[in-house]
Amino acid sequence: MITQGSSQTGTALLYVPGNSFIHRMNPLTKLVGLLWLAATTFMLPPGGMATIFVATFLFGVLAGAGKAFIKRLILTLGPFAIFLFVIHGVLIERHDTIQHEWISFSPEGAQYMLKILVRVAALLAASMLFVTTTHPANLLKALDSHGVPPGIAYLIASPLLLLEPFSARARAIRDAQQARGLDLTGSWKARVKAFPALLIPLVTLALSDLDHRATVLDGRAFRARPFRVVLDAPVDRPYERWLRRALLIAIPLQIGVLLWL
Amino acid sequence: MALIDIDNLVFGYGKAAPVLDGVSLSIAHGERIAILGGNGSGKTTLAQWIAGSLPRPGMTARSGTLHAEGKPWSDWDALKRAETIQFVGQIPSQQISGFAFTVYDELVFGPGNLGLEEAEIRKRADWALDTCNLRHLVERDPFTLSGGEQQRLSIAAALVMQPKALVLDEPTGNFDPESREKLLNQINQLPEDLTVILCDMALKPALAIARRFLLLDEGRIVADSDAQAILAHPRTLEVFGAPAVTEAALAIRAAGRWPEGKPLPLTYGQAEALFKEVSHAHG
Repeated sequence: MITQGSSQTGTALLYVPGNSFIHRMNPLTKLVGLLWLAATTFMLPPGGMATIFVATFLFGVLAGAGKAFIKRLILTLGPFAIFLFVIHGVLIERHDTIQHEWISFSPEGAQYMLKILVRVAALLAASMLFVTTTHPANLLKALDSHGVPPGIAYLIASPLLLLEPFSARARAIRDAQQARGLDLTGSWKARVKAFPALLIPLVTLALSDLDHRATVLDGRAFRARPFRVVLDAPVDRPYERWLRRALLIAIPLQIGVLLWL
Repeated sequence: MALIDIDNLVFGYGKAAPVLDGVSLSIAHGERIAILGGNGSGKTTLAQWIAGSLPRPGMTARSGTLHAEGKPWSDWDALKRAETIQFVGQIPSQQISGFAFTVYDELVFGPGNLGLEEAEIRKRADWALDTCNLRHLVERDPFTLSGGEQQRLSIAAALVMQPKALVLDEPTGNFDPESREKLLNQINQLPEDLTVILCDMALKPALAIARRFLLLDEGRIVADSDAQAILAHPRTLEVFGAPAVTEAALAIRAAGRWPEGKPLPLTYGQAEALFKEVSHAHG
């Protein structure tokens, strides 16, 4: 029963509430579309990959997720671009390396770096479009309503849901250990020494939680039947089903062509 | 046939002293029973046995048996067991499935696993939302709720399974007095044929819900009686104290001024009438 615009769901999610065309698409169609785009980026020249990047970015903006897109892309691609440039443009010596004063630079290396960067940017933007327009609850319902075993859906849901309580517990352990005199502000050596005092209770409590959670799931008859009954499953229009089938056929064909050439 | 039959159950973790030491107990359908005891008395372990969470590999009884409607839990399939008994533990955040992003989805998770019709799932969820006063939280992420709200949610999630028995392990531990009163009233309004087994180390919730009381001490049942007898038991007073009105009556009785055969008051309402009677009797 996820309503668009619900603001009280977990803060760890990148989902941006909205009612755009992409928001309304069935999550499985978007997931298959993402897989198809990922396969396609390996076939296209840099210009094609850049087109995918720009197109997905624009779709993201139209879906109302422009801010989230820009923030994540800068945070991820910025350091990655610098790293790639240093490795391929400067450090790796190529036949066209130009030595200028104290720095060497390879135009071919920079071109290669751009190729990788554009591909990663296209993949990242496509993934961002998926996560910002798909609430995980809807993805779970779509998986459940298509007969995907509940265990697989649980593997997707539980990390997203448990991330926040897990972080809160980590903070509580840190505060409790500091109150008992654990020094977390000293040298890096002191911090490394203090690390087990934070990690061990966190892992122990997480394992204890697992035991309880397993009991709860048993009590609620989880996996007692091969499939679950799902309420408010996302709409799956006939054209989306056909589109998914077409894309699922295209993906192995594209990979085959890529390997053949 | 009894809902639960336990015969001389001895159970301990590893090689340590037994947590349950020769427990024998029979629980009938529709009973409202409180298992009382101090810290480490074995309440939670007994509750886990009753609910079928035990035995598990490496955690088996040293001796004795437990039968639910005539057969051990190990002979039950997961579906039937979930429809028969539900357990709500002490720590609210550990009672959440980790599968649902909203309170409503948490509620419909169990019935969805049972494979019920959609209309039936919605009907049950609506009833549980009202019973546990959760309607205003329906869109919230279960992990962002307060401890008391999470506890109400876990009770509601157990109720939507429509079990024959509900085992509650210290259900009001995270509640303020007002919320506790509300929850106890709500539990009292549950269908009469639902067996409620409450484990607690506080007398007040037990007195509000139960009609039969067990006192567990070092893994043994030392009393199995009604409220009057349990309050008069010396271990009850040592472990829990007594409600203030009962304490006052006990002091009057110790002074030899309590009428022979008169029951001790458990609530303020009962105390008012009884104290007036005692006061008149002694001028």
